[in-house]
Amino acid sequence: MNALLLVFNVKANSFLKNAFDLRPSSVLKNVSSLIIFGGVAVGVFFLARGVTTYLIQQAHIGQFLYHRFLSMLLYVLFITVNLGNIIVCYATLYRSEEVNFLMGMPIGHEKVFLIKFVDNFFYSSSTLTLLGLSWLLGYGSLYAMPWYFYFFTMFAVLLPFMLIAGLLAVIALMGLITVASHVGIRWLLALIVAVYLGAIYLYFHVTNPVQLVQEVMRHFPDVNLYFGYLDAPLVRYLPNHWVSEFLYWSTQGDLVRSFPYFFMLIITLATLMVVAGHIARRFYYRSWVAASDARAMGGEEGRRLRLTALDFGRPSFLRPQTEVLVKRDFWLFLREPSQWLHLLLMILLLLIFLVSIRSLEVRMTQPFLQTISFLVVFLFNGFLISSVTLRFVFPAVSLEGEVFWAVRAAPVSLRRLYWYKLGGAFLFVFMVSQVLAILAFSVLYRSFLLVVLSAACTGFVALALTGLNMGAGSYFATFREKNPIRIASSQGASLTFLLAMIYLAVVVALLIVPLSSYFEMLIRQGGAGGGWVTLPLVLVGSLSIGVFVLSTRLGLRALTRDF
Amino acid sequence: MIELRSVVKKFGSFTAVDDISLSIEKGQFFGFLGPNGAGKTTTIKMLTGLYEPTSGSCLVNGYDVQKQPIDAKRCFGFIPDQPYLYDKLTGREFLFFVGGLFSLPAGTVRRKVDEFVERFELSKFIDKRAEEYSQGMRQRIVVSSALLHDPQVLIIDEPIVGLDPRSARLVKDTLKQKTREGMTIFMSTHLLEVVEELCDRIAIIKDGRIIHSEFQAGPNGFNGQLETLFLELTK
Repeated sequence: MNALLLVFNVKANSFLKNAFDLRPSSVLKNVSSLIIFGGVAVGVFFLARGVTTYLIQQAHIGQFLYHRFLSMLLYVLFITVNLGNIIVCYATLYRSEEVNFLMGMPIGHEKVFLIKFVDNFFYSSSTLTLLGLSWLLGYGSLYAMPWYFYFFTMFAVLLPFMLIAGLLAVIALMGLITVASHVGIRWLLALIVAVYLGAIYLYFHVTNPVQLVQEVMRHFPDVNLYFGYLDAPLVRYLPNHWVSEFLYWSTQGDLVRSFPYFFMLIITLATLMVVAGHIARRFYYRSWVAASDARAMGGEEGRRLRLTALDFGRPSFLRPQTEVLVKRDFWLFLREPSQWLHLLLMILLLLIFLVSIRSLEVRMTQPFLQTISFLVVFLFNGFLISSVTLRFVFPAVSLEGEVFWAVRAAPVSLRRLYWYKLGGAFLFVFMVSQVLAILAFSVLYRSFLLVVLSAACTGFVALALTGLNMGAGSYFATFREKNPIRIASSQGASLTFLLAMIYLAVVVALLIVPLSSYFEMLIRQGGAGGGWVTLPLVLVGSLSIGVFVLSTRLGLRALTRDF
Repeated sequence: MIELRSVVKKFGSFTAVDDISLSIEKGQFFGFLGPNGAGKTTTIKMLTGLYEPTSGSCLVNGYDVQKQPIDAKRCFGFIPDQPYLYDKLTGREFLFFVGGLFSLPAGTVRRKVDEFVERFELSKFIDKRAEEYSQGMRQRIVVSSALLHDPQVLIIDEPIVGLDPRSARLVKDTLKQKTREGMTIFMSTHLLEVVEELCDRIAIIKDGRIIHSEFQAGPNGFNGQLETLFLELTK
């Protein structure tokens, strides 16, 4: 126990020293983070309050339906935390230098597991916790809930909920790695992807949001009645359902009905903690050894994928420096499963998005609703681009790693290296964004003008977000971190993501008025010219180029810092 | 060949290197000695362009490393204190990568790699990924990468650390041969026996300042005086 406390104490001290570092550059960085995180927290608070007010008081969807939607959102959050923990835990529990060090110390394996699990959970879930608290405050303030409701819900309901997701992730991970040592990692990864996609499909198939809305609306206007019988039996055993039920009954002031759900969460959490501890005692060390063996075998000649055209020894039409950088990046990407697996998942999500919007009907009779629907789809594209850039562009400079000495000591222009990285990233993000914009808006609007506007604006968004993530990734570069997922979920990355959200909000604000005028003319007068697109394009273009130039200057300057 | 002119490096209020000036002639094997934290690695990092000096300048073959980095870097090879490699690339791929960075034709790199495989006994592991390498294997690959483009100057930070006696002998013999061929070597180390065996001239750095720079080896090397001098000066 003493060893455990000592390690946690060292980690807490290190965190506090970093947070309260009084050097001017650190103070500036921390204050900037505080302002941006605080700003987003306030934004989420007002958004939660606004959405809840609108749905309950204006749209009259009723408490039941509202909390069912909440339950679905919580399910998505649960899967996100669960999957995120599986991916990040693999790096922290099985590949970190700290584990290698701790395994050589007289500390029990289950304690090493506990140290790294806590480390990992708080590292990867802190931003979600902040957003969860802001949302809770916004939601609760509408119901005039007492102060202790927020405190209790945050620490006794939402935190256990996320811990359950995290614990399930590590339990699954330990089992998966033990199994992987027998069946091979590729088959196992395919199985995991299939299981998660199946779980998401099954959940939404069983809960069926469209059918739920139709069922509830059949009883309109008595939608505030509790239609518990509409819940599928499977759903009642899921933690997201317990959280939404707890919130539902708490806001109704019925503590007797809300508390059983709290107890279910706590009992599940306690059970999982015992199970995880037991499994860690028996399997953590064994699975850690299996993972090390698997990594060692991954380098064997016979198991390697060969693409002779991209062999280092084979010359190409490119300049030698560019050629070896391209080949290096290609092979490093392909040989790191967390990279290509994430890319595949993102492409899959894009396809699901494109398929699902086919059935949307957005051509409404109200100009304002028409504008909102256009901007929602545009914003969703923006979110996808910001996720892709955060995950793949932000870590690009950090992934040069400690071996960056080899590039820095070679006759390579750092400016050229930066532009090579930025150019390649932009090309990829631009192509994805254009496919997304053109397909989505062609399907939804069948209007050439709107497709051109959305494609051009999305192109600008791709430019700005690629520049922003490359620049910030260079500024916040952590060459010691090898795991791209941890780099993309660091404090600097969270800050960049929030900046990207602010940028997207400004872009949307610039588009609202011209778009409303266009739809107004289209619906009221039956047609509109094309000249109106110039102003929003110039505004969005100027803003995006400004963001790109500033970020690139910052990134270039940061790249030449002392290494 | 190598010149440091009043070089200063400060990290905030801490001065790591304090007004160092040195000049090393062509073909000289220069040993840069000093206790831990004396400023050896910081000096080497400025010399190789990894750090920017707060003031002063570093020249290699007449080129200012900060102002003409590309020309300067073409002239030297660098062996860092920690032999970091790309874990997911093989040793051979890493050597081709470095060859490309120096714009060497693929045929030349292939010929040089074959030569180093022979000389540094790399054949058993060169086609395995670096994640499987021991410290010594990594060090031998890094030494090969630094010699790949036949540099006129070699800058080395602790070359023997992590090498087994056989590999250490291979590296030392190679370095000796290279100085005989006219290569200038700037080597930082605190292994006195390595300096005794290899160096023509040494300088000793302590607390960021050069405290002795004109100790030349005679026909019989340093005659075993190095340890006494080092311990005396760094007290």
